[in-house]
Amino acid sequence: MALRVAEEGLSSCSGCEVAILNLGERLLALAPQLDFVHMPLLMDHKYFGQLGDGDLKRLEIPQAELGLVSGGVRNQEHLEVLQAMRANCGTLVALGTCATHGGIPALINGLANAELMERYYRGCETNDPAPDPTETVPPFLERVYALDEKVKVDIYLPGCPPHPDHIAEAVLAFLEGREPALPHKSVCDACPTVRQGKGQLKSVRRFLQNAQYDPAKPIADMRCLLEQGLLCMGPVTRAGCSGADGEAPRCLKARVPCRGCYGPVRQNGNQMLDMLNALASNGIDIKTLPDRAGGLLRFSGAHGRLRPRPAAK
Amino acid sequence: MAFEPKILAFSCNWCSYAAADLAGASRMQYPANLRIVRVMCSGMVHPNLVMEAFSKGADGVMVLGCHPGECHYLDGNIKAQARLAVVEEMLDAYGLEPERFRLAWCSSAEAERFVEVVTEMTEAVRGLGPNPFRPTRPEDAQEVA
Repeated sequence: MALRVAEEGLSSCSGCEVAILNLGERLLALAPQLDFVHMPLLMDHKYFGQLGDGDLKRLEIPQAELGLVSGGVRNQEHLEVLQAMRANCGTLVALGTCATHGGIPALINGLANAELMERYYRGCETNDPAPDPTETVPPFLERVYALDEKVKVDIYLPGCPPHPDHIAEAVLAFLEGREPALPHKSVCDACPTVRQGKGQLKSVRRFLQNAQYDPAKPIADMRCLLEQGLLCMGPVTRAGCSGADGEAPRCLKARVPCRGCYGPVRQNGNQMLDMLNALASNGIDIKTLPDRAGGLLRFSGAHGRLRPRPAAK
Repeated sequence: MAFEPKILAFSCNWCSYAAADLAGASRMQYPANLRIVRVMCSGMVHPNLVMEAFSKGADGVMVLGCHPGECHYLDGNIKAQARLAVVEEMLDAYGLEPERFRLAWCSSAEAERFVEVVTEMTEAVRGLGPNPFRPTRPEDAQEVA
């Protein structure tokens, strides 16, 4: 019997679903073994019966052996869908950095809800002020949560989006009943740039300054961007963006520093703390970094890492 | 019951832990709010350890090392000094008062200084009140929904 798979996207951009489609020919090879029973972003399946004639008190999510959930938990609807997924899926996979660490949407965790509403509906000079919406919008939770803050998660598959190689590995491993072999080292471990030593850096250069390199030469001949004084999140970010056999991490391939989209190296790590420590231990004045919390927790603001700044006493 | 702060101190093996030892052997009195963790060098105390202590409910954290220039490992305490900025930054981001963390030096002969620093710290934290910081954990999951 084919493996039943259910998929849901919560507070996310559907990039993770596109990454599933990007499996390419491997998806064709896997397809006979998989039966996608629920995947609202790619196929039509309604929550309350196809004509809205179902039980309005109960979300209709079919039973599945494998559940994939992308996106964080932002509002009551996300929470109910997630809980229904957990109840109906044998194994739950947190797909993508939003699901594992909050991702980009969790940047809002730096603002309280009231402040967000004030700024969005009444703080914009070009729009007429309006009251907070009350109808048709599910009530907000007080911040963005990663999945494991709300339900038990069995497999973590971070990435923005996760590389298709690792999605394939996770599904294959599940089919074969073994632990998936996912990357667990840092981006630096997968990066071929040349490291020559720390030098005499005292501050970090601004992002609009470009790296120095010879475009005719491969990335393996470029000097480490962190050593060039660019803020590269490689040391504190999980490897994987280059796939199973990529040449270099994706951002590095474009000759720009890593932004940290795979989240911390260890699931419960803190990218901001580790990056600041790495910089400070090497003699760089961390006060020269603009927007330290928002910049270093760009992809991992859930789990209470990013929080509203308390009012001055 | 009156608030009694819990203060965690990372003391280096060579100076400040020896100072604590001397203070005890000399029967000097200092607040019992202190929990000492002996480490080989103040320079090995990663800010992760300090923040984890706060996240687990410590009201104050101290890192105690040798005087600058007297480190058993030459520059461990200089590294600890550099990491001070990181801890300050993290405390600020989490809305904790900077006084909850203190980096101090005392040599193995300075039992009086150890007692003085610990007493000051205890009084300062007692004045600040309990640590308001507690992270969301999976077991908190139900109460928000």
